[in-house]
Amino acid sequence: MSKIVAVHSYKGGTGKTLLSVNLAATFAKHGKKVCLFDLDFRAPSLFAILKVENADYWLNDYLNGKCGIDKVLVDLSSIIPGDGKFFAALADPSTEAIREMSAKDRKWEMRALGRLLSLRNTLLNDKEFDYLVFDTSPGLQYSSINAIVTADFVVVATTLDRSDVDGTRRMLRELYNLFEKKTGLVMNKVLDPTSKSKRDEMDARVKNVYQVPMLGLVPCFCEVLRAEGNLIFAQDKPNHPFTKILDEMANKIDANDVN
Amino acid sequence: MTREELLSKKPLHVLEKIRENLERLNEKMEVMIELQKHGRQDSQPLTDAPLDVMTLLSMPDHLRKTAMTICRCGRATAEEVSQQTSRARAVESAYLNQLVIMGYLKKERKGRKAYFYADRDSQG
Repeated sequence: MSKIVAVHSYKGGTGKTLLSVNLAATFAKHGKKVCLFDLDFRAPSLFAILKVENADYWLNDYLNGKCGIDKVLVDLSSIIPGDGKFFAALADPSTEAIREMSAKDRKWEMRALGRLLSLRNTLLNDKEFDYLVFDTSPGLQYSSINAIVTADFVVVATTLDRSDVDGTRRMLRELYNLFEKKTGLVMNKVLDPTSKSKRDEMDARVKNVYQVPMLGLVPCFCEVLRAEGNLIFAQDKPNHPFTKILDEMANKIDANDVN
Repeated sequence: MTREELLSKKPLHVLEKIRENLERLNEKMEVMIELQKHGRQDSQPLTDAPLDVMTLLSMPDHLRKTAMTICRCGRATAEEVSQQTSRARAVESAYLNQLVIMGYLKKERKGRKAYFYADRDSQG
């Protein structure tokens, strides 16, 4: 079943972009037709990670009603092994565009929500995409909440950092619950997660503290830091443990098996 | 068409008309009740208010469910909304009319059916 997946978090630096890019790439590696969206208009980053130097149209133009979504999509299928399709819709990284996007009013945000919601028809139904993956801004702000409202499933990236735990818990209760969103939590940057007892402890802790199912547990990998944003693990390191974790997460979302 | 057939059609037609009128009356009463709740004397709905996500978040749960359904469908009747929310049609009709009075939704009649939608394009 085709789906819209939003990747969100309370704090910045929890690994949303790393997760979004690699989750989208993993779906594509599994043979799906995927589009990755950069909805972080305050700090666009996908253009740099995906090495797209320039684009004729940005996602900003689509949300501003200046063009159809087909003009925005960049075909990057060649970077992914196999027959899957990998597209991206990028946010305009220019300072002017960031300034313009941050000054939008409520009516514009309402129309932007309408345009995001209509992607279900244009991309999932008409163009037969299997997955749309939304990379969002952290915290409670318009672009992220628009993405969450549009999504079928929300991946919440979090860490064990004290500053993140309480906010994430509140966000789950007061945002996702109110919109009746299916949610899976990814605990990122976990130290020493190899022992089974540690994994079980984390699992119980997530269920107890956040009251949502755990989608995955990602250890703190030095390779991620060393790569300096140059690696798409699904593509570049097929045997890395992180790639295997991503395979499992993608399969769970695909099978609707997040409990 | 035989005389018998004509005779049997007529009562059905009359009943249908009565039902239609009752439905309209019901809707008008719902609007009046809502207006009274808001302590308003005139029957003019509030001016257009954007149905954005922050507004959705601040709504009471029962109205948010209805408003979200309209957001997803774009345009729907009370019957269609009730199929999605699994609540009674009359309940959805009351909530939808309440959202119209609050200025978040627009209502348009086409024949017997009343359609509700968020007017995204005409604003601002």
